[in-house]
Amino acid sequence: MAAKVHKVIQDAQNGKRDVDLVERTITSFNEIPQILSMVHITRLNLAHNRLKSVPPAIGDLVNLESLNLYNNQIEELPTSLSGLQRLRILKLGLNRLWTLPRGFGAFPVLEILDLTYNNLNERGLPGNFFMIQTLRALYLGDNDFEVLPADIGNLQALQVLVLRDNDLTSLPREIGRLKQLRELHIEGNRLQVLPPEVGQLDIIGPRQLFRLEDNPWISPIIEQLQIDTTHLMDLLKSSNYMSMYSRHLQSGPAIPPMVRDKNRKVSRRKD
Amino acid sequence: MARISTTNQYTSRIANGMVCHVCREGFDRDEPILNSQGEAYHDDCLVCAQCFRPFPEGTYYEFEGRKYCEYDFQVLYAPCCAKCKEFIVGRVIKAMNTSWHPDHFQCELCGRVLSDIGFMRNQGRALCHPCNERVKAEAAGKYICYRCKAIIDDKPLKYKNEPYHPYHFNCSNPECGRELDSDAREIREELYCLRCHDKMGIPICGACRRPVEDRVVTALGKHWHVEHFVCAKCEKPFLGTKHFEKKGLAYCELHYHQLFGNIDFVSGEVIEDICVTALNKTWKPENFVCWCCETPLDERSKFLEMDMLPVCKKCYERFPGELRRRLTRHYESAQRIRPLAAESSVAQISAEEHEFHAACFPRICRP
Repeated sequence: MAAKVHKVIQDAQNGKRDVDLVERTITSFNEIPQILSMVHITRLNLAHNRLKSVPPAIGDLVNLESLNLYNNQIEELPTSLSGLQRLRILKLGLNRLWTLPRGFGAFPVLEILDLTYNNLNERGLPGNFFMIQTLRALYLGDNDFEVLPADIGNLQALQVLVLRDNDLTSLPREIGRLKQLRELHIEGNRLQVLPPEVGQLDIIGPRQLFRLEDNPWISPIIEQLQIDTTHLMDLLKSSNYMSMYSRHLQSGPAIPPMVRDKNRKVSRRKD
Repeated sequence: MARISTTNQYTSRIANGMVCHVCREGFDRDEPILNSQGEAYHDDCLVCAQCFRPFPEGTYYEFEGRKYCEYDFQVLYAPCCAKCKEFIVGRVIKAMNTSWHPDHFQCELCGRVLSDIGFMRNQGRALCHPCNERVKAEAAGKYICYRCKAIIDDKPLKYKNEPYHPYHFNCSNPECGRELDSDAREIREELYCLRCHDKMGIPICGACRRPVEDRVVTALGKHWHVEHFVCAKCEKPFLGTKHFEKKGLAYCELHYHQLFGNIDFVSGEVIEDICVTALNKTWKPENFVCWCCETPLDERSKFLEMDMLPVCKKCYERFPGELRRRLTRHYESAQRIRPLAAESSVAQISAEEHEFHAACFPRICRP
């Protein structure tokens, strides 16, 4: 195995800009220190390893366009990460992140950010998180959000928003500002109502997607869902629903309980 | 009326027995006698009725029996020009309740001298006839014919950007020659009646409906001004660059692909060549890879779907069991709500775990 790692590093040293180190049982960047001095590399794939942290020197890889750290054991990220001026794709799914570093929203050209299956919630996001104006796809499935900050409306380029399997009890009305949105995944939350503004989103059609199963919806929503999502969107657009929605919020409904024990998640492990 | 007179002086030795016309007294020996128009005067009796001084160079003005020096006469009786404020000697123009030197009575707008051509009073101003017509037309929102300067009551005919009465022109087609109306059209600085114009086969722009005389763009079965043939989305003119047609509309490359599809999800770039359609998205073949390990996938590869992203079977099996079970449960709930379409269009990708909606199944399109 180590020989293969050595071969990949040698190729990179000879000018290869694409570094693929998937599933090499790497536990630390200390095992591959040469990588951090190869300024020319544009793509680095370290998926399925056992990394626990990312060193600040990652910020020196100024030409990096794609960084894949899927399925590691990362608990902390360096603040230097958001200084990567050309990074367009960042995959951090299946890790053990509780917070994101200060200034994380400073990426100038980030388009795809995958944070699926971590331990993040609204309190773990830095203040500038929703300032990544270039973001096209944001994957936050399998995290611990109870509230989606209203600043989500700032992400004007967003086409894909995944909030599957969080603990959301409500969605902000500002979600209606996401005019480019084509995919919205909110299945497996604690949502009872949708803001009427969702009715304005362009998420129904052959190139669009709206997933909202496994939520404790109020019965009018369930009734429309059983026909199809087009009927649901018609309901959301109706004045009838507008008053239904405000009545629901005014009545101070009981917040549905959490349905699953998240402590069994791999991302919670301490080893 | 004033009468201008001069005096002669001679001595009384010759004119004995004469009396002064003013004081009615005789003249002493050797006393100078002034003669004016047959009347004799003492030297100090022939003076200005206003300033009591002798007349300079013996010239005086007489008005209603009294004699005045030039200065006092003018002050008292001569007209004053309303424009230059000087006294008027000679011809006086009386107009607009005041007096003018003939050359100073002018149209207030164009400055033409009005003394011999007559004038119109318009809101306290003296105007020449053309200016008066123009002001009246402007007030009524009408045009003034550039040729006859009269108001155009009906629709004007625009020719070289000036308005005219259409009846001043005839159709330029020698076989027609009819008097024109406002529907006439200008082609290369010549005017034609609408019928002749239409017969000449000048293309009409599909956007502005006006004739295209310069470069003509022919597209979508219509003619267009170069600057009017634009993208239906961003409205920028193509100016000769590549355009894409869809349902009778034209789009620039970027917006065509943005609206009708072929933007690669990973790079955000337009897909010009082979395009993979899968998971409600389009992909460049080289970017259609397992989301985790980034191994290339093709239409025969087995992969599973998570959050509408492709995950190869090997990676999916590395996912925590509780995550996989949850994804399966959501999938089953979705199916309970929205069953899959008829079986023929369902592609069986992985026997154990998932089935795909036909739309989600990867298809490879070659343009």
